[in-house]
Amino acid sequence: MGFWSFFTLLCLVGFYVNWYGTTKALRINSNIEKGPKLPSLPNYYGRHALLSFILVSTTILLVWIFLKPFILDLLLENKISVDLTSSFDGDPSMLIDTIKATNPNNFFPGTNPLIIESAKYYEYIKETSDSYVYLMVLFVALIFSIFSLRKISISFQARQSVEKTNINILIFCSVIAIITTIGIVFSLIFEAIRFFEKVPFFDFLFGLAWSPQTAIREDQVASQGAFGAVPIFSGTLLITLVAMSVAIPIGLLSAIYISEYANLKVRKFLKPVLEILAGVPTVVYGFFAAITVGPFLKDLVSFFGFSIASESALAAGGVMGIMIIPFISSLSDDVINSVPMSLREGSYAMGATKSETIMRVVLPAALPGIMGAILLAVSRAIGETMIVVMAAGIAANLTANPFEAVTTVTVQIVTLLVGDQEFDSAKTLAAFALGITLFFATLLLNLYALKIVRKYREIYD
Amino acid sequence: MVMSNSIKIKSKKISVFYGDKKALDSINLEIPEKKVTSLIGPSGCGKSTFLRCLNRMNDTIDICRIEGKILIDEKNIYEKGLDPVLLRARIGMVFQKPNPFPKSIFDNVAYGPKIHGIVNSEDELNDLVKDSLKKAGLYNEVKDRLDEPGTSLSGGQQQRLCIARAIAVSPEVILMDEPCSALDPIATAIIEELIDELAKNFTIVIVTHSMQQAARVSQQTAFFHMGNLIEVGKTEEIFSMPKQVKTQDYITGKIG
Repeated sequence: MGFWSFFTLLCLVGFYVNWYGTTKALRINSNIEKGPKLPSLPNYYGRHALLSFILVSTTILLVWIFLKPFILDLLLENKISVDLTSSFDGDPSMLIDTIKATNPNNFFPGTNPLIIESAKYYEYIKETSDSYVYLMVLFVALIFSIFSLRKISISFQARQSVEKTNINILIFCSVIAIITTIGIVFSLIFEAIRFFEKVPFFDFLFGLAWSPQTAIREDQVASQGAFGAVPIFSGTLLITLVAMSVAIPIGLLSAIYISEYANLKVRKFLKPVLEILAGVPTVVYGFFAAITVGPFLKDLVSFFGFSIASESALAAGGVMGIMIIPFISSLSDDVINSVPMSLREGSYAMGATKSETIMRVVLPAALPGIMGAILLAVSRAIGETMIVVMAAGIAANLTANPFEAVTTVTVQIVTLLVGDQEFDSAKTLAAFALGITLFFATLLLNLYALKIVRKYREIYD
Repeated sequence: MVMSNSIKIKSKKISVFYGDKKALDSINLEIPEKKVTSLIGPSGCGKSTFLRCLNRMNDTIDICRIEGKILIDEKNIYEKGLDPVLLRARIGMVFQKPNPFPKSIFDNVAYGPKIHGIVNSEDELNDLVKDSLKKAGLYNEVKDRLDEPGTSLSGGQQQRLCIARAIAVSPEVILMDEPCSALDPIATAIIEELIDELAKNFTIVIVTHSMQQAARVSQQTAFFHMGNLIEVGKTEEIFSMPKQVKTQDYITGKIG
């Protein structure tokens, strides 16, 4: 049985179970002439049977997806004859993998016929096991729904039961998000621990030099590599600062104009246009930064007698700031709009002008939302990679001068993992250490942001 | 009771349009100084619209157009070149729903004095805030928590905070737009007492849905119906022997 025919059958049975439960409940109700009827509406009985059908089948299927490789291995192991084990000339632990890697229909001449036979068997169980499981799923799920259908009586409160199941499904979905986060952290942690076996933790965290080139072969006299993350994080900070000092004032002021001053026509035109900025691919911003803004800044800065690197934090940060403007302006505009009109009227009635009202009443009231918008924009800026690769370079300079080239965490992760690298060199593993450090840095930032927002909420709500 | 002859506000043929719709039709009304005038009438009769003409709050609505004159101290507030912002500093307003700013109790009251530069020093400001809160009958309840947010107060306290905020800039007139409609009877009674007290120093115009309230707090009552001013007179006369049939119908509950 293929998956799609199984799926169709599953849907049909599900519909039938639902219909049967509902009609059964209706029939019971119509047979009761006096006294209380069923405690829940008839369709709840159908839905209860359907829910138990769906939940049981999905649970079994999920378990099967996880266990399938192990069960197949187990079956294969039991099948392997003593003859094969003795005649296999490789490492015994590799036998199963060898069998799995052999294509029984297209093998090298001279392959051990016993291996081919096992490979055929493996192919066979791989294809047929699914069908057996599908049948089992249908069977077990049907039994559970029959139990549910048999329960239909005056004493069974299907509505409450369905309600409880709904809650549990919702809880399950939100737990998935949490579990994924934990999974991400762990996958980073294990690689990062391997990195810290090679490079001391504090050398990484507080080291001032970053040059991840290490010797690939034992006999190479190449550099030992330096893995101090400070220049990278300072570079990230610098570019983010530049980006935010462009995006916050422009974004916030345009949000104020759009929400408080612009008439409906202008507003209808301006807001979508600003939001287009958010839709431009970051690579295109990268071109813009590298080809247009970079040279322009070079001319501008040299006019004032300074010098600027052709790949500079200023160019990358500035363009990144422009990219972020719509985040801040659009979100802040929504927040400012949601400040109640009564507050504005109260302020006007006190004889305040429009700008006084905005500065002293509207913005303070909208502050938690505006903070949220800004922090969203900050995490966007920290995570942005493409613009920096193209416009700020990959040189890890420790500097606070925006005219120089710097690099960011995400850019370094990309450059470390691109190209041919063995997966246990310090250079490659450094990417994971950077990743987890970035993860914790943004986590702390978010926690701090939440705290600020909550503090203002308490005061103003 | 003898009506004072001094008239603070004169409305002359005031008409208000929202888009094409006429909301007020040529209203002529005189409002005496340092008395309470109440505007009554069924919902949508234009009484709130009239109130909002007196401090030009209707200017903030785009589609609103106003014809006619309103003279305050014999000076037309709709004259060309007159700044509505300065006008509103002279005419305080209290709204239907208490709307304290998202600031501390102190800063709520200090808001007006600060933007108009009324005080010269911290001490003066402190005294003014304290004095305004006292006049609004709120000081004793909040004196220990002036730095707490204004929104943390109860509804009635919030409304008195809004009154304190309005009187902190020493306005000549206070407009009240159904100030008690969101409050419970006890808070309402406190505000009504406060209105009596305030009438010694301020000219008060109050819009109310409650005829009992109009009877309790005001000396003059104006009855609005469908954008027209039907009748105006001494409060006790309006409620005891109205001259117009519509007024009679409204106060006896036949219309409204």
